[in-house]
Amino acid sequence: MLIQEAMGIQDKLKILSDAAKYDVACTSSGVARGGEKGTVGNTVAAGICHSFSADGRCISLLKILFTNQCIYDCKYCVNRCSNDVVRTAFTPDEVCTLTMEFYRRNYIEGLFLSSGILYTVNYTMELICQTLHKLREEHHFNGYIHVKGIPGTAPELIERIGFLADRMSVNLELPTAQGLRELAPGKTREKILGPMRQVQRGIAAQNQKYLETGSRFQRIGTYSPTGSNDPLQHPGRSVWQPQQGAGRRNFVPAGQSTQMIVGATPESDYQMIQVAEALYQNYDLKRVFYSAFVRVNDDSLLPALPGGPPLLREHRLYQADWLLRFYGFQAMELLSADQPNFNTLIDPKCDWALRHLEQFPVEINRADYYTLLRVPGLGVTSAKRIVAARRSGILDFPDIKKMGVVLKRAAYFITCSGKTMVPFRLDQNYITSQLIGDEHKKVWDIENHSSYRQLSLFDDYHTLAPVTREDRLSAVLGAL
Amino acid sequence: MQVFLCGEEVDDIWCSIYDAWMSRLGHANVRIEPAGCDPELFCEYRLVATTPEKAAKVTDSIRQKLSEELYEFAYKAALSQERYRADRIYRFLIYAFHYGTRVVTMLQIPAVYEVFRMDRNLGKEYDHMRGFTRFSRMEEGILLGKIGPKNDITVLLAAHFADRLSGENWILYDCNRKKAAVHRAGAGWVMVQTDTKEWQDRLQKATDEAEYEELWRAFHTSIAIKERTNPRCQMNMLPLRFRPYMTEFQ
Repeated sequence: MLIQEAMGIQDKLKILSDAAKYDVACTSSGVARGGEKGTVGNTVAAGICHSFSADGRCISLLKILFTNQCIYDCKYCVNRCSNDVVRTAFTPDEVCTLTMEFYRRNYIEGLFLSSGILYTVNYTMELICQTLHKLREEHHFNGYIHVKGIPGTAPELIERIGFLADRMSVNLELPTAQGLRELAPGKTREKILGPMRQVQRGIAAQNQKYLETGSRFQRIGTYSPTGSNDPLQHPGRSVWQPQQGAGRRNFVPAGQSTQMIVGATPESDYQMIQVAEALYQNYDLKRVFYSAFVRVNDDSLLPALPGGPPLLREHRLYQADWLLRFYGFQAMELLSADQPNFNTLIDPKCDWALRHLEQFPVEINRADYYTLLRVPGLGVTSAKRIVAARRSGILDFPDIKKMGVVLKRAAYFITCSGKTMVPFRLDQNYITSQLIGDEHKKVWDIENHSSYRQLSLFDDYHTLAPVTREDRLSAVLGAL
Repeated sequence: MQVFLCGEEVDDIWCSIYDAWMSRLGHANVRIEPAGCDPELFCEYRLVATTPEKAAKVTDSIRQKLSEELYEFAYKAALSQERYRADRIYRFLIYAFHYGTRVVTMLQIPAVYEVFRMDRNLGKEYDHMRGFTRFSRMEEGILLGKIGPKNDITVLLAAHFADRLSGENWILYDCNRKKAAVHRAGAGWVMVQTDTKEWQDRLQKATDEAEYEELWRAFHTSIAIKERTNPRCQMNMLPLRFRPYMTEFQ
């Protein structure tokens, strides 16, 4: 295949960012590193969004492919070798210049470098390694770098790149080995999990070393790492990382992430979040990203999606993912083999609460933090504010509303000093109909015969208004 | 009712709090208002003179008797966009000196909540502006960033960029308040008032930046997935008021 190298940088940027756009992860979070004299850049633990594209997704990093040339023929991918598209590649210098100049103008938070495969996996990764080395050592770039590991990369290359990048990710692409065999013939489960395991061990060994030498750790945020040696989850726990000394680099300090395609293969939501949970527990991943499948290739093995990409499903998976990471939920609590997919009309947390009404209502002034976290309409921030504020006085509904509680949802699950906000029946069907907006009632009725009782016109819509004086009058006078 | 009239700057606010507190008239009998408000009947108005000593007395007692964290809490509120911030901070400090540092968690007290609300609003804008600020190169190689924030966050932003771009000469210019943070490579940064003619001329000068701005616009367009186009979501995440200052929307 002919690779166009003489192309102008703007054309290359157009082609190689266009080819990279299906990668989801554009986060710059997970590592807090102050600026240093003589270098350009710093990083912020929570990450910074620099812009938002027309699809509403955040632009934080300069997300590009090193090359869109590829030897694999993954069915879902726009860059597969059987597609007839213009192929090009950046040179390491071009990537460095773009990154530095964009960074100085505050367009971006750093670089996200992924790539197709030029000749062989290791040849490509060697080029990426050179680019990063140049960026860090010659241009003294101290900002954020996220690198995609290509499945099957040699361990010594992963090791070298790991010390230059902040975050590494190897895409799982499809949740089951079966799906991978069908749609990505060049990749296997082992090739993907190998580098992942290596990165995990590298980070663990480094943290162990820091602990033993008594280095200083800094608090970089609060979330719940569902680590393997940590069966009890601690939502909202502080996360610490070793403080980086001047001139010393840590191995993948912002941890690793991965990505799964939603809707390209027939896996259920239950399978997806089970895989995600296993990755969080066994591979200490920081994030699992979900990307709604976009049908870019016309291939008989790919599903036809007349309604466009499955965006709602992707949204529900992200909501569930947050419940796993920050709220102390487990995959089997949210879904089961009998109910393998998320309710399209209610978010997973409300759905869970409706199935566990015996645990509600929760008393705001007494319930412990972990119980509060499970209430729909309460999040990590508002639960923390409540716990802190109630030490010095009784809280009422207006108070917790100010603290960020969404009373529209929470009202049916909480009491303040034993009182509910509005009178209601603690009944699954009643609360469900209240939570779902009127305009959604019909859709909900059609799609959810199995999970809840079918709505009835007379019970749920309250069409039987009480008889008023006017009614009586008109009945008497015969003016009905 | 004794009303103290104060200016817009942070030091003006500290001084007005000092005067109000030290007037010994009782907290219920004093009020702080921004200078230029409509006068009321049965009120006595007094203009607050700003001196560094009075401001230092207030900030020192907050930092020493309470905590640095609480000082930061009050300081950020003093940068807020709200007109009556001085009086709100005053009411908050009455509780703060009564309860100690735990007062910041006591959001059920209206006076505390008001300051918390101003802080939250400012914090959100600060988070936005760290990302949405755009620099462009002027002729002398100086980076110029123009912003139009609602809250007076230039000071906070300058600290962020001083850490990030320590090796660059840059100017961060607040178009609404006509003031700027000026940073020299390898040295620190200072705040300057830029309402003089020379400054205005200099800041109006065109920046010569076609190349990278063009590249950035190209990137911004090609990174969006057509099948997922969602202007509503984009508007939620990046409200329109930021866009006039951003390269990719010009």
